Amino acid sequence: MLSFYTFALFFLSLAGLLHAKSSDGDSVLVVVEEAQQKEFTLFFDGLREQGYELTFRGPKDEKPAVVEHDVPAFSHIIILASESKNFAKDITPQALVALLSGGSNLLIALSQKQTPMTSLAAEFSLILPPPNTPLVSFFPERKDSPSVIPIAAPASSLILSPKMSPIWFSGVAHALGSNPLLVPILNAPAESFAADSEGGADALVDATEKGGEGLWAGSQLSVVTGFQAVGGARVAWVGGTDMFSDKFMKKEVSKGVQSGNAKFARDLTAWTFQESLVLRIDSTTHHLVNSTTPLEQYTNNDNIVYTAGISRFNPKTSTWEPYSGIKDMQLEFTMLDPHIRTALPAVPGSPGKYSVTFRAPDRHGVFKFVINYKRKGWTHLHSSTTVAVVPPRHDGYPRFLSAAWPYYAGAISTSVGFFIFSAAWLAGGSRENKKGKAKAQ
Amino acid sequence: MPPKAAPAVVEPTSAVQTLWNAYKDHTTDRLKFIDAFLVFLMLSGIVQFAYCVLVTTFPYNAFLSGFSSTVGQFVLTASLRSQVNPENKNEFKDVSPERAFADFTIGSIVLHFFVFNFLG
Repeated sequence: MLSFYTFALFFLSLAGLLHAKSSDGDSVLVVVEEAQQKEFTLFFDGLREQGYELTFRGPKDEKPAVVEHDVPAFSHIIILASESKNFAKDITPQALVALLSGGSNLLIALSQKQTPMTSLAAEFSLILPPPNTPLVSFFPERKDSPSVIPIAAPASSLILSPKMSPIWFSGVAHALGSNPLLVPILNAPAESFAADSEGGADALVDATEKGGEGLWAGSQLSVVTGFQAVGGARVAWVGGTDMFSDKFMKKEVSKGVQSGNAKFARDLTAWTFQESLVLRIDSTTHHLVNSTTPLEQYTNNDNIVYTAGISRFNPKTSTWEPYSGIKDMQLEFTMLDPHIRTALPAVPGSPGKYSVTFRAPDRHGVFKFVINYKRKGWTHLHSSTTVAVVPPRHDGYPRFLSAAWPYYAGAISTSVGFFIFSAAWLAGGSRENKKGKAKAQ
Repeated sequence: MPPKAAPAVVEPTSAVQTLWNAYKDHTTDRLKFIDAFLVFLMLSGIVQFAYCVLVTTFPYNAFLSGFSSTVGQFVLTASLRSQVNPENKNEFKDVSPERAFADFTIGSIVLHFFVFNFLG
């Protein structure tokens, strides 16, 4: 009976995978104050349209649990309760980091106030300005408050779709630390700066007196930043919840032009929930040229063919499709250091196949074929296969080389000479004796 | 006044000529035969060494075995020559020419065994 249930569960989960839009599952926990749920109906409807199952929960509620029986109950977690100072036990920063290591994706909104999430942001190399200093900009001229800013979408971005209208933003900006896992998604406008919402331009005056010190300003600041953990899970840090609100999604940027917020929310969740820019290595093989079976050990200077198959997740069909679009992948053949580092180009005509032929180094030892492809925004690809490289066996060396014939001739002629000498010596013994006798006589 | 290179009775010739004549007249055929073999080995060694220096050392083991076979054979043959030389009879009282030849043969066979093993 038990086995029947596990079977049923197995097939149910398979069926679930078939309909999932994300490569990582489609259950989403939204942590939001119940009163604020209505502010984000467009955002939530958009997610539901994509095939996600949303579950709502207040920041202090105990149920539904994030982790059940030591298994994360949700594939993705959205934390829109940015103002909340107290969270339930299983949404603490430590719990979230544990979830992230386990592969759950997070979308976290920050606020101007000091909350547990702002201290968590510091762990991800985001540097936040002092509390209560939202991003402010007086350009372009508009009727809205200076802290409601239209931000032009970047001209070229992997994550955001092209030709997006400006995006309304209100909240805090952050500076980025040097962590290589950070993926900047949306930068603050060049004219913007962080200041007290009431103070306005006073912050600029103060900063000018100090020679610009302590001023948080310019396009180096980021308002939306991604972070891809080593395990592949993704986090999106958003400067404020307002950009997902119905108000900002409907708000016009200029007459008759809808803001890009809805599209931006779609693209951001697509990246965060591992729909877009998701790659995986399906298979790797290696063999000698003119052979097809992989060997456990190769000999010095062997010509080795290494082949990798790479797929990209297609969210439209929810399938993994062979992907040949990577232009800058490299293969390393390493023993502590890469002895060989070579381009691993796509094979024209066979989608998803990347192959390279190279000569094993003239060193013996334990080597690894290593693919280590880490690009901002994309899933990190890592593959390592260990093989031994051995010197030729005693009978594996080339023999009877034409260059060595003088030496062969020398050795053979010495032997032949020795043989003839010995034969003549033995034969000559009697003759010599006769001669000696003749002389004596 | 330098000492005269050749006796006054014969026609005056160079020192080398005299040496050569003396060698021809006073050396037994056996020793001459040995000397011919030594010259052959020396030439063979010189040719191999020149090839190694001028052209390639690439199969280095082949060079080593080829060259050392000539050198080793030269040494063994030279030992044989000194042992069978009648003039050295006092030196090698216990070694008969037959015994010397047997030693030479055994040594050479062992040498050639190693040479061909190492030749590659």
